[in-house]
Amino acid sequence: MATNETKITRADLMKSFWRYVWLFQCGWNYERMQSVGYAYSILPILKKTRPGEEEFKEAFLTNLNFFNTNPVVGAPLIIGAHIALEEAGASLETTEGLKVGLMGPLAGVGDTLVWALYNSIIFSIGASMALSGSALGPILVLLLVFFPYLAVRYWQFTWAYKQGVNLVTQLGGGIIAKITEFATIVGLIVIGGFAPSIVNLKVAWKPAIAATVQGEAVSQVIDIQAQLDAILPYMLPVLVTALAYWLLKKGWSPVAVLALLFVIGFIGGAIGLFG
Amino acid sequence: MTIVYALILAALAYYAWYDILGPTFTLAFRPLISGFFTGLIVGDVKMGLLIGGTLELMALGVYTYGGATIPEYSVGAILGTYFGKTSGFEVGIALAIPAALLLTQVDILNRFLNFIFVHRADAYAEKGDDKGFDNMMVRYSHMIWGFSRAIPVFLAVAFGEPVVKGITAFFDTYPWINKGISVAGGILPALGFAMLLKIMPIQKYPAFLLIGFVMFAYLKMPLVGIAIAGVAITLVYQQLKLRTAEG
Repeated sequence: MATNETKITRADLMKSFWRYVWLFQCGWNYERMQSVGYAYSILPILKKTRPGEEEFKEAFLTNLNFFNTNPVVGAPLIIGAHIALEEAGASLETTEGLKVGLMGPLAGVGDTLVWALYNSIIFSIGASMALSGSALGPILVLLLVFFPYLAVRYWQFTWAYKQGVNLVTQLGGGIIAKITEFATIVGLIVIGGFAPSIVNLKVAWKPAIAATVQGEAVSQVIDIQAQLDAILPYMLPVLVTALAYWLLKKGWSPVAVLALLFVIGFIGGAIGLFG
Repeated sequence: MTIVYALILAALAYYAWYDILGPTFTLAFRPLISGFFTGLIVGDVKMGLLIGGTLELMALGVYTYGGATIPEYSVGAILGTYFGKTSGFEVGIALAIPAALLLTQVDILNRFLNFIFVHRADAYAEKGDDKGFDNMMVRYSHMIWGFSRAIPVFLAVAFGEPVVKGITAFFDTYPWINKGISVAGGILPALGFAMLLKIMPIQKYPAFLLIGFVMFAYLKMPLVGIAIAGVAITLVYQQLKLRTAEG
């Protein structure tokens, strides 16, 4: 256990932060995913805290281990906390423990908060505005991406660095579980409303039934969509989403599900069943 | 002129992926943004908004969770907007979807080939050569990713014109194809929602999904209202749960 503490300056911190910003997921691969980007971000710190040639090589190699988490909410927090541990002279076992312990839970929190919740809301609003012909749609999204994304990453990074060693016990104390639950429940409520509003499928086919009533020939047109709406509004969008979910659960790849949905929609639309 | 567009749009495709790998300043890999940028470049913002907005709604919630490959919607939006400008929206969107699907194969190959970088990195680490490693990261680590998108866009824009003219004539002859594509476009977003639901524990909290559905389908609430109500409901739920836990 090394006891020599190395002072990390603000310039060192910012160097690591901007390395993370510019290249974090570059070189992502199936074998070790974000590992090279992680090593690139932490390298200037390691160079300072482990000045000996052999200890630097060992730390460099160790930080090329498998790593994967959400790049926006998750990665900056882990790097920030890691720097605090490095500064305190922690061993490689400790820092690897921090990384492995936090990357899984934070991947779940981050993917739900950033991709599922925040992005789904801003992008569905932006896309609706764009479809009504307003360039404000994508411009609004660009503003809601640029500033909040940078701010949330900077804030996590510096906060985690300041919290340092305390952070590990804090996060272990149920904060992550609480944030995850919050993000999950809000996400489910929003998806419950989003899915039927975006997925669009209606029956266009209106069969006419010819019948003879009291000796006169009458033709009765049946509006199938109106009948379905009376039973359950948005029944077809719900069913098609349920089908896609079930197929994914059965192990279908997203691309295969996409191809199937495309074929169903294409044939149904081409023969005039759906519209 | 076509070659100039081909080069600029290829650069946009490269940038769109570099952005999500690193800075994440614009999220240009989302079709709404890449369609808008393409519209600005080719001078038809309206087409960029239409193609980008349509693809975005199809792709809503579709992200690479844990590195899973998804359809390449940004290339779809770039090519769809470019060809939509000369041949109309229907042709643009009809080209965008197959282009997005075709390039998923390229994405898998790309993520596989990137193993080169991690093995080079091991070699640098064993020598303690951080300068060499930095150089590899800055210059090369985004290249396979960027060029695997930029080259198809370049080829399609530079040499695609006659092919697209033929496709346009074909669509005019068979209008039912457009009908089929527009219905298919309407149901594709189901995939995004299904992917979201798959990573979420619905078995544990089924009630909340139903609450969201009722707010939309029966109460006709706008989506932002549903999101605000969702935050409120969750806060109440967590407070009640805390109180129960405290007994």
